[in-house]
Amino acid sequence: MLLEILEFLVRGALLGAIYGLLAYPVSLLFVTTESVDLAVGAYAVLAATVCMAVSATLGIPLGIALGIFSAVLASLVVGALSLSINRGSKPDPLVMVLATFGFATVLESIVLTLYGKDPMVRQPFVNFWQMGEIRVSPQAAINLATGLVLLTALYVWLYRTSFGRDMRACAANPGAAALAGIPVQRISLATYMVGGLLAGIAGILILYTTGTSYSAGLGLTISGFGAAVLFGLHSPLRGFAGGVVIGVVQALSAGYLSGGWGTAAPLLFILIVLASGRANFSHIVGGRA
Amino acid sequence: MNSAFRIRQRPTLILLGAVLLLSVLSYGKPYWLDNSIVIAIFSLLALSVGLCYGQAGILSMATAAFASVGAFGTAVLTTRYGQSPYVGLLFAVVAPVLLAYPLARALTRLSPLPLSIATFMISSLIELAVHEGGELTGGYIGISAIPRLSLAPTAQSMHFLSWGCVLVTVYLYVNLMRSTYGRAINTARHDPLRASADGVGVPHLLASTFAVSAAIAGVGGWLYAHHLTYMGPDSMTTNVSIQVLLMAVIGGAQTILGPIVGAAMLLLVTLYLPAAETQGMVFGGTLVFVLMVAPRGLLGTEWRALMRRRIFARTPTTTVKPGVKA
Repeated sequence: MLLEILEFLVRGALLGAIYGLLAYPVSLLFVTTESVDLAVGAYAVLAATVCMAVSATLGIPLGIALGIFSAVLASLVVGALSLSINRGSKPDPLVMVLATFGFATVLESIVLTLYGKDPMVRQPFVNFWQMGEIRVSPQAAINLATGLVLLTALYVWLYRTSFGRDMRACAANPGAAALAGIPVQRISLATYMVGGLLAGIAGILILYTTGTSYSAGLGLTISGFGAAVLFGLHSPLRGFAGGVVIGVVQALSAGYLSGGWGTAAPLLFILIVLASGRANFSHIVGGRA
Repeated sequence: MNSAFRIRQRPTLILLGAVLLLSVLSYGKPYWLDNSIVIAIFSLLALSVGLCYGQAGILSMATAAFASVGAFGTAVLTTRYGQSPYVGLLFAVVAPVLLAYPLARALTRLSPLPLSIATFMISSLIELAVHEGGELTGGYIGISAIPRLSLAPTAQSMHFLSWGCVLVTVYLYVNLMRSTYGRAINTARHDPLRASADGVGVPHLLASTFAVSAAIAGVGGWLYAHHLTYMGPDSMTTNVSIQVLLMAVIGGAQTILGPIVGAAMLLLVTLYLPAAETQGMVFGGTLVFVLMVAPRGLLGTEWRALMRRRIFARTPTTTVKPGVKA
């Protein structure tokens, strides 16, 4: 019994490391531009699809590289879109949400046309590690290591470099940052691309862990958003912990609840987290700038 | 019909004229009658988005989910319990309201962004409930042999009934937006603080608007179920919500007739699209394009002012006299 729970916990953490990677772009974008990129999950699926398609003929390393590259490219498109949509004097964040929603549908449709409805998965490890009584796939170690390495890199980048300082300045107050001579638009474009990079890496990891399919994109975005919201949107680094929690909730509910409830429980969990108002950003004067 | 009525109800009268023209054009042609019924049903769904997103600023991705509550409700009532479809209509109006109002009360105090994500999750949950409904919703098989309406047994009469529903909805919609409630909804959208300073109960008002828009979607679902006589788990999915959102945005979500124009245009385009796989590319791509070029939609954009500004931008020497209204 205890062992079973432990196994679910490990499996959840394995998934959760990936959600943590997806949470980062969500929260960083949220604090810098006050909008959400609903296409984050779609980048991950795109990366997985490209990796799957390319590595069959050109080898795995090139497949992984091209997969991540395609995700970054897609996020660059969205970043450029956001620049042109947010041109006006009073940008409406909902318009950007709608646009990324539309772009996610485009990506989903591209993946569907290219690859069809088959699930995509790669599991290269046949031998599992025996840790005490539980079996752990070596992939878990790769996921966790990738997650932690990227987390450290991001931490150093955000808090120890001048570029990271500029980025945090844009997040705190875009107007003042622009007055201080920080290229706000270029920074926000970079934010989108970092998001694409992380989502691409997450997509590759998903391909090697649980597998994915063309329609998984929005679900991944939602998991990433939930992970980002859970411990507070304003600190991007907390998203990783949130991701692990969401992953564990998913693994536990898939293990202990029957069919439909297993899928519904994580959604309900995120909905409750949202309803508790954690994602509300408070403007002092009722939404007025 | 006095002139005040004519001015106020201009959208309804324009729509009435368009429907009459459409009825003449499609008379006795089953293919076009069928399309016109589908356009009417999607117009209702798009109007629901118009009220919710265009007027109240709640970006809802659950429109199709509320429609499916209405559709499955009437399907279950008529096929499993042998009730009349009109009991189903009652259910299709009441159930989405009862579902939407408390949800909205819990959620409209959120900022617009988390709110839209929350509606997406509600939509996924309802979709899941349909999948897992077992005997009741037919699970993956769905419900077939839903009876046609006794009011409208033929395609021709169904055409009149569904457009009649749209006309009534537009009439009520115009009245609502002209009333103090409508003004309050718009104020609450632009500045909630101002609205509550005016003595408007913002959460109650927004939740009610959301509930009314869910009811409109429910009626759309009711018509849909009795028109197609089949409801499956794939009938009213999140994809349909996206399409409906797109229709409202393309036509102009803040205008009264915009959603209907958008619905008609997109459905006509869909008739000539090749494969189902590429639909997402067309719909999503169009959405992005429209948001970039004319974010207020076809009817919401002031095209003349836009053109004039373009011309001025090209010839900077032209001086605009201050105080002269363009």
